[in-house]
Amino acid sequence: MSSREYLLPLWLRLWHWTNAVLMIVLAVTGASLHFADPELKLVPFSLATTIHEIAGIALAVTYAFFVVANIVSGNWWQYVPKPPGVLHRCWVQTRYYMWGIFRGEPHPYPPTKEVNFNALQAVVYWTIMYVAVPVVILTGLVFFYPTWAPERMFGLDGLLPIAMLHYVAGAAVILFMVAHIYLGTMGVRPTSLFRMMITGWHEH
Amino acid sequence: MTIAGWARSLAMVLAFACAGVAARAQDAKGVVTDPAILEKNRKENAECYGCHSEAGYKNPPRADMDMVKLRALLHDPAKFDGSNHVGMNCKICHGQPYETYPHPAGLKQNLSPCSECHATKSLRVEKQFEDSVHAKNLKDAFTCQTCHDPHVYKVAQKIGDPRVIVAQDNQMCIDCHNSDLRYSKFSAQLSTQKVRPDLDTLHKWLPNARLHWQAARCIDCHTPVSKVKSLQTSHEILAKDKAEKNCVACHSQQSQLAARLYRYAATNAAADLGFTNPSYLGSAYVIGATRNPWLDWGIIGAFAATILGLFVHGAIRVVAAGLRGRRAS
Ligand code: HEC
Ligand code: HEC
Ligand code: HEC
Ligand code: HEC
Ligand code: HEC
Ligand code: HEC
Ligand code: HEC
Ligand code: HEM
Repeated sequence: MSSREYLLPLWLRLWHWTNAVLMIVLAVTGASLHFADPELKLVPFSLATTIHEIAGIALAVTYAFFVVANIVSGNWWQYVPKPPGVLHRCWVQTRYYMWGIFRGEPHPYPPTKEVNFNALQAVVYWTIMYVAVPVVILTGLVFFYPTWAPERMFGLDGLLPIAMLHYVAGAAVILFMVAHIYLGTMGVRPTSLFRMMITGWHEH
Repeated sequence: MTIAGWARSLAMVLAFACAGVAARAQDAKGVVTDPAILEKNRKENAECYGCHSEAGYKNPPRADMDMVKLRALLHDPAKFDGSNHVGMNCKICHGQPYETYPHPAGLKQNLSPCSECHATKSLRVEKQFEDSVHAKNLKDAFTCQTCHDPHVYKVAQKIGDPRVIVAQDNQMCIDCHNSDLRYSKFSAQLSTQKVRPDLDTLHKWLPNARLHWQAARCIDCHTPVSKVKSLQTSHEILAKDKAEKNCVACHSQQSQLAARLYRYAATNAAADLGFTNPSYLGSAYVIGATRNPWLDWGIIGAFAATILGLFVHGAIRVVAAGLRGRRAS
């Protein structure tokens, strides 16, 4: 019988799944916009614009909530990789994913109430949540209000660099998400981390 | 055309035939390249501007004029100099008698129609124009001048910059479709007068319609591609149910904009950046059409590599767990 610990408050789980649904919706509609083509069977352009805009605004609101709630609850501290030995712990974690897991070794840094993330998670989550996602949201808002974009940049249309940044940063976030969902199967049982994200209880 | 008109045309043809050297190698009659004639035209036009310009109106040469009427007849010399007809003498189109003031009555009938000088092109344009909703429903009230102000209009080919082309060409339509006064004058020709539908309401389905007005032309959606190769644009404004509603017509790599609005845009140094439709880069980012295949393949490749890597990782995990399980039992 494995032990259980209540790790994740309700607000965080609600935020997480709202965020996840919005991200997937944004990824699908975003790809339909970028790769629009009469030959391809994607979400119709007009519908894709509408959905992407609504989901985009919803994500911005969700993100604002995330930032505020993290400050208020002190959860932001989890995202800070704590020296000394951050690099070393990242390496140990990487080695575990590349080797130890195949041999059935235990997790090197199992989550606790005090330290929910291992160092690798902290570094990656921090980069995604506080660099990539804000970039996607801010460039998305400029897309929404194109008059905010500079008239011209480097002799090109001012929206071009904004659009490229939105596309690349968005792709980075979704790339993270693909790996992130896979890493979600790395609990005691493949489903236990997903169950934790729903119930808040972590199985050791 | 009136008999006077015919006589004048004939006289003009003869005059141009004599001044053949000056009119050489141009596709319209009345082209002036001789600097002496250009200077003469400039001087004579300045006489007209003496009254028919903002400056002339503020400082009228005589006191007995109908200033209210004149107010509505002012022209901007700078605009005329930026138009197709720069360098032409006002009187070539308007007729000699305008030299004197008060102008004699009934001169309006003598105005040269476009076809008088642009015979071939007009013939082709007219065929398309006759099929347009305006010509069909509004009959004779709607002419070439209704859209083309010969003192201002400059052909897209000579403008080049898509933003400027869009501004000019859309103004032709908006001047009327956004003005109750002007619209109602024309819709009075209909059997039942039509209330002007609001442009924004009509195009509600188009997100950011106002932004589209600055980057795409009304005619890019409201006319078919011209079947006559020598014409850059079709004049056949289609009925509303035939207008382009398919976003992907513009928002895709095979965007029709490339063959229409952007055909004159310079494919400048930006082309080296490896984009498809490089002519867009300088004036608009068009989702779906402005794309860099290198970047696209890079991102698709990153996803493919990640997903493949994760599958392999997962497979090894399953196999390794199976082996461990067998060893344990
Ligand atoms: C002394 C001032 C003055 C000068 C110079 C002048 N006009 Fe006018 N023009 C007027 C006024 C005032 C009107 C208003 C209507 C009227 O009183 O006939 C007018 C009306 C017109 C009209 C519109 C009326 C119509 O008959 O359709 C045209 C076209 C026109 N002028 C062209 C010209 C041209 C071309 C020249 C130069 C060759 C010129 N005018 C020189 C004062 C002038
Ligand atoms: C290529 C032919 C052409 C030339 C050149 C031309 N006009 Fe006109 N003009 C027209 C036509 C056609 C109209 C009638 C427009 C309409 O029916 O709305 C007109 C109308 C006018 C009018 C009266 C209506 C109005 O909108 O103001 C004035 C005044 C006028 N022109 C002045 C001038 C002056 C001054 C010049 C020289 C600087 C000039 N035009 C050169 C073709 C020409
Ligand atoms: C009295 C003769 C005359 C009249 C009338 C006239 N034009 Fe022109 N037009 C010219 C001349 C001359 C040029 C200069 C041609 C050149 O530069 O090759 C020209 C140039 C043009 C051009 C650019 C060259 C091209 O063919 O693409 C356009 C477009 C044009 N005119 C449209 C019109 C329209 C529309 C009207 C009627 C409102 C009109 N013109 C009336 C003489 C005239
Ligand atoms: C409903 C408005 C409208 C009417 C009416 C109209 N035009 Fe045009 N015309 C346009 C627009 C918009 C363009 C596109 C601008 C461009 O290509 O320069 C254009 C372009 C042109 C061009 C240059 C494009 C080319 O293919 O070389 C000519 C010449 C021309 N029109 C002549 C005419 C003549 C002649 C008539 C009358 C039979 C006429 N137009 C009536 C709106 C109109
Ligand atoms: C992106 C393509 C597009 C552009 C750009 C566009 N339109 Fe339209 N327009 C349409 C379509 C499609 C309809 C038919 C709408 C419907 O039936 O619901 C329409 C309808 C209209 C109507 C309908 C009139 C009626 O009686 O119901 C008018 C007038 C009109 N457009 C004018 C303009 C003008 C003027 C511009 C330029 C400022 C313009 N359009 C730009 C696609 C476009
Ligand atoms: C001087 C006024 C005027 C100008 C300029 C003008 N229009 Fe119109 N247009 C009208 C009127 C009036 C109607 C109504 C005719 C009808 O309903 O039969 C109309 C009808 C239309 C329609 C609707 C046809 C339908 O099926 O109900 C379209 C689309 C349209 N115009 C597009 C344009 C475009 C594009 C331009 C510019 C290239 C333009 N118009 C320039 C006055 C104008
Ligand atoms: C006639 C060509 C054309 C058609 C048809 C067209 N568009 Fe566009 N669209 C453009 C151009 C050009 C731009 C670039 C505007 C700019 O960057 O200034 C644009 C920009 C946009 C943008 C970006 C605005 C922003 O936030 O920066 C959206 C969203 C959009 N279009 C949606 C649509 C949808 C949805 C449809 C179909 C219902 C559609 N467009 C049909 C030409 C078109
Ligand atoms: C791009 C969109 C996503 C982002 C930005 C994101 C972000 C996050 C963050 C920040 C956490 C930590 C929460 C905390 O404790 O503060 C987390 C945990 C988790 N997420 Fe997501 N998430 C996304 C999408 C998804 C999706 C779509 C799924 C699965 C369907 C998923 C499954 C999980 C799981 C199982 C955990 C807990 C396990 C672990 O931390 O490894 N996530 N996610």
